[in-house]
Amino acid sequence: MSLEQQVTLFILAVFPLYLLAFTLYIIRAIRGPTIPDSVLAIDALSFDIAAFLALLSILYRSPILISCAVVLSLWVYALDVYVSKYFEARDMGD
Amino acid sequence: MIVVLEVFTLALLTLFALTSVVAAYLAIRERDLVRAVVFSAIQSSMYALIYYVLMAPDIVLVYIPVSVGLIPAVLLFVIKKTERYEGE
Amino acid sequence: MYLGEILVAIGVFCDLAASIGMLRFPNFYVRLHAATVGTIGGAFVPLIGVALIALGAEWLGTYRFFLAGASIITAILIVILAPVGTHVLARAAHRAGVVAVKPKVVDHLEEDRARIKG
Repeated sequence: MSLEQQVTLFILAVFPLYLLAFTLYIIRAIRGPTIPDSVLAIDALSFDIAAFLALLSILYRSPILISCAVVLSLWVYALDVYVSKYFEARDMGD
Repeated sequence: MIVVLEVFTLALLTLFALTSVVAAYLAIRERDLVRAVVFSAIQSSMYALIYYVLMAPDIVLVYIPVSVGLIPAVLLFVIKKTERYEGE
Repeated sequence: MYLGEILVAIGVFCDLAASIGMLRFPNFYVRLHAATVGTIGGAFVPLIGVALIALGAEWLGTYRFFLAGASIITAILIVILAPVGTHVLARAAHRAGVVAVKPKVVDHLEEDRARIKG
């Protein structure tokens, strides 16, 4: 078995575990009781998806696709900061 | 091996599509507007991931900043200026 | 190369554990712990593993160095940004009182803020 086949088999074996983890995160993100719960779930989900997209770009043999992971992990942090800034500003009376 | 890859990719697409449909339904039904903004962010990031799986990375590079970054920022600013809960 | 696969396997385990914890934990402040496991163990470690795999993958051509460098940059960004985002969210949630501290023994932060406010 060559090295390429071995790496492809490994990523294919890892794939359904990632799918299961994403499903559990999405369930928590949709039925989180409060807003910080769902925002936290989106945060963790997007950082894990950014790791998973790097694996997919090896699996699809097209390394150009990796540049989406940087953008995803940067902008989800911005969503986090926006929501918390909304809460803080409402508390301080401004 | 190629067949397994196709099946897994279709499962990934199905998961993203179902999540985006559920999140869009909840974003329309929700009375609390901040939660509606969060559901809208879930829905559009799932659309961006569908674009990624369909091999269009240039659309993803534009779609993620607009959908996750700009639209929730503008909507939360507007909600802060007005009121949070949707009236009758 | 094999080190990279081991790192990716560790990342998958941390990811599953964090998602199960995110679903089963009772409280927002307990779920912060699961989110830490999910971001550092589930995103930082597999990205380093992907970089090590991509450095040894000759069938990808010259662009494999681009893949390795971009994944290392993403890993560094995640290890900087994820704790900052989690802290900001927890601080805002505690200050605004959005989440009730439900099974609580003692809450020193609330007592201090009440004392400062008078």
